[in-house]
Amino acid sequence: MRIYEVFLKRDGKDEFRHAGSIEAANQQLALVLARESYARRAEGDLMWLVDRADIVSADHSFIAPNADKPHRHNDGSLVAARRKAQREAAS
Amino acid sequence: MRSWDSVEAFETFLDGGGIVEVDDRMPDVFRDAVFAFIEMHANSELMGGLTERDWIPRSPGVKNKMAILAKTQDEVGHAHLLYMVAADLGIKTRTEMMEDLFAGKSKFHNVFHYQAVTWADQVAIAYLVDSAALMSQQAVFKNCSYGPYKRMLKRIIAEEGFHMRFGEERLLKIAEGTEIQRDMFQGALDRWWLPALQLFGPDTRDGDVLLRWHIKSERNEVLRDRWVQKYVPLLTSYGFVIPDDHLRHDEATGRWEIGEIDWAPLKAALANAGPDSARRIGNASKNWHDTAWVRAALDEAAA
Repeated sequence: MRIYEVFLKRDGKDEFRHAGSIEAANQQLALVLARESYARRAEGDLMWLVDRADIVSADHSFIAPNADKPHRHNDGSLVAARRKAQREAAS
Repeated sequence: MRSWDSVEAFETFLDGGGIVEVDDRMPDVFRDAVFAFIEMHANSELMGGLTERDWIPRSPGVKNKMAILAKTQDEVGHAHLLYMVAADLGIKTRTEMMEDLFAGKSKFHNVFHYQAVTWADQVAIAYLVDSAALMSQQAVFKNCSYGPYKRMLKRIIAEEGFHMRFGEERLLKIAEGTEIQRDMFQGALDRWWLPALQLFGPDTRDGDVLLRWHIKSERNEVLRDRWVQKYVPLLTSYGFVIPDDHLRHDEATGRWEIGEIDWAPLKAALANAGPDSARRIGNASKNWHDTAWVRAALDEAAA
């Protein structure tokens, strides 16, 4: 038996989203089981199954260096403050 | 993978609204508690699904038959998903959980230790038991600290909502039916009122870890009372009688006060010694053994 992660996507909307996992003997049976477990009421129009063993994953500590990089954001606050000041001066 | 130096540090994380994921190094006590909770939920979905299955050939009319077929499929599906979430905690495999269930070594909810005698029992189950289960699940979902379970509850709750609406609709039909139908439902209500009430469990003990670790978010007695306040007026509005001699409406507070609950039936059910436990576990176990050839064939196909 293999474990597959199930991803569903609604046609034309959103991205593929993780729905859960199923255990099945082969790919063909996995597709049927995933359809009957996760998409019984049209929760998606497209489905991906990924063998869990094939997932390359990174955890919090690997991602952490990118979590604290404020210089990669620009919240536009300087410009917003100037516009606000101009609006107030005009009114 | 996150880890915590102590249970205290872990609890601070949980109190701050932290969500635990499967690959986190959670304390063993938390892992065990979450696992036991999910395993019992999974077992209950499966045992519930098997009860529903009993009614596929006996449903009155093709519409009911199709609704019960769908409900059976939903319940067994929920069991599937929950067994996956439970197995990922690495304590028991899915097969081990099922073997324990069929050997009578693990628990499932009290309401699945009783027999559904008539079609009205099926309606009472859908109306009372499914609504009680839904109310508890919503309370767990709201603030559950274990991510994989919380996400799965979202889909389960959506489907249980269909079951509850099915129960509401069938109750309406029975209530507007003949005297025989109304008597039949009153009989079912007499049988199912107490088990449904007890599904919420006895009052939550102080220091309950499920609450402390934000697996549950509300106390049993609070949920039970919320259900009583909602369902007593609904049932009486149809002219049915709640089987509780001490039930009274407090005019001052506007609340329904129920009589004292005898917890012995709940204890018996959870020890797999309820009125219908032996037959149910026996049937489920026989079914598991009779279908061994299917699992063997699947394994062979995969090899």
